[in-house]
Amino acid sequence: MIKLNNITKVYRTKTIETTALNDIDLHVPKGEFLSIMGPSGCGKSTLLNIIGLLDEPSGGTIRVDGQEVIKYASKATAKFRNEKLGFIFQSFHLIPDLNVIDNVELPLLYRNVSRKDRKEMAAIALESVGLANRKSHFPSQLSGGQKQRVAIARAIVGNPAIILADEPTGNLDSVMGDEVMEILTKLNKEEGTTIVMVTHDERMAKKTDRLIRLYDGSQVA
Amino acid sequence: MIGHILKLIWNKKGSNSLMILEIFLAFLVLFFVLAYVLYNLDKTSAPLGFATVDRWEVQLDNLDALDSIELKTTIENLESNLLALEEVEEVSFANSISPFSGSMWTTGNDENGFEFSAMVVPADYGLANTLDLNIVEGRFFTEEDYDATYKPIIMTKHFMEKYYPNKSMIDSTFLLQGTRKIVGVVEAYRYRGAFEELYPTIMLLEPKVDNNSAVLLKMKPGTPTSFEEKLSNVVNTTTKRTGNVINNLEKERISEDRESWMIFIALLSICGFLCVNVALGLFGVLWYNINKRKAEIGLRQALGANGLDISKQFILEVILLTLVALIIGVFFAVQVPLLQLTEFPNVMFYKAILYSIVIILSLVFICALFPSIQAAKITPANSLHED
Repeated sequence: MIKLNNITKVYRTKTIETTALNDIDLHVPKGEFLSIMGPSGCGKSTLLNIIGLLDEPSGGTIRVDGQEVIKYASKATAKFRNEKLGFIFQSFHLIPDLNVIDNVELPLLYRNVSRKDRKEMAAIALESVGLANRKSHFPSQLSGGQKQRVAIARAIVGNPAIILADEPTGNLDSVMGDEVMEILTKLNKEEGTTIVMVTHDERMAKKTDRLIRLYDGSQVA
Repeated sequence: MIGHILKLIWNKKGSNSLMILEIFLAFLVLFFVLAYVLYNLDKTSAPLGFATVDRWEVQLDNLDALDSIELKTTIENLESNLLALEEVEEVSFANSISPFSGSMWTTGNDENGFEFSAMVVPADYGLANTLDLNIVEGRFFTEEDYDATYKPIIMTKHFMEKYYPNKSMIDSTFLLQGTRKIVGVVEAYRYRGAFEELYPTIMLLEPKVDNNSAVLLKMKPGTPTSFEEKLSNVVNTTTKRTGNVINNLEKERISEDRESWMIFIALLSICGFLCVNVALGLFGVLWYNINKRKAEIGLRQALGANGLDISKQFILEVILLTLVALIIGVFFAVQVPLLQLTEFPNVMFYKAILYSIVIILSLVFICALFPSIQAAKITPANSLHED
């Protein structure tokens, strides 16, 4: 489903050149739950951003369902992110001025979905993460675990084929982290959603189908 | 999308209220200044009613001090001596109510079956030819009118439209200090300048000896300023006085207009300064908001927003906020014509409302455009990481 060939990422300033990713080759089959581990600064998040087309690689190719996605124009990139990808971030990235249901329906705003359908789809997504009774709450009224579940609902509301999760349990205690992992695992097993997760937590990584490790921008295992 | 943005605005009503207040106040100031300027500019579109080019005025030095016989002789001599000059084509005597003098005389009564109020201009029969008054109905005063049974009276068109709409009143009688006969209608006589209120005006025939404050002259076209010396000598010799002053009516008109324009320019400058301040304020607030909301921008891009969606969102947010401020502003502004709070015609206020809306919206759009375009250029990976 996702195929990365010779992906490199180099950050250049006038005096320094830093290689964040070095010749990464990766194949993530459809329906796989893959975790990426490694020490801080090893390039995990950079790799995830590149897969999610949030960042451009300095070299290499990315194919999703056989299509070369790096060459997409910005409008097509936005459409691809909207329809194929769902993002989950460590710091949740909920908009504080919108209530839960409005946060969840955000991806649908960028599709031609009617207001009524948006509300219905967001309600279903919230129900699937067990937050149907928190629709009108604002992010400031939720716990960390609840915020992350809202973020998961937002990631799945548009039925994406791939979910990219950047340390989804990083800001949560173990109980809440387990809850979040349970939802992601269920999503992967029952819906067949491909998930790529960056984590620091060995325990969480063991719950996934496959684990790869990065060190100084290179894949070591 | 509009519903989504309205919700965002509503949920941030606390921080948005100051911006709404700023735009609301800017709208009100702009509205009042524009209403005032439009009203006054509209007055300039009405005709002045008399010619000023090649028209001179000599302000006479205290002829009132002469006894009646001496005064009559002086006035007659002055008229004949002036007409004897090749450069002088017509002569008319005036009292202190002469063009651009600033003096005015108003009168009114209800003896005509209605209450009227009008400005009064005492004139002699030479005024029409001297200042090229445009007679739209009937005739101007003649020398014979001094001996007529009924004293003649002339109205301006505005007077007739106000008090006798769609009627011809020529040869009708009019009660003002006795019975008078309406002999003619002039297009206008706005002797106080183009920015003068359009006020009903009547002209009364006065003997030349009573109009002894000034003499109006129709000069031969192109008479040079140097002729003033010769004219001054003739007037001074005839009146045996040296304090006579010669004015050029065209220069007087320009000077009078300039004073009014200066007021408008000052008002519009203050208003423009205010608008620039509001624009800079808006620009700053938008810039700050966009920097503060970088993570949100990155998130929206991650969720499928393209550059245009991001720009559109920020522009729409400001435009919708502005519309809220304008709706409140228009509610207050529209009370002025609805409650008839001033004598300005209502149409001026509605025009001022429309122009103010267009100016404020354009200003806000321009101020929102650049920060919004910059917002669209933010890269999602960096902005999400920054948070």
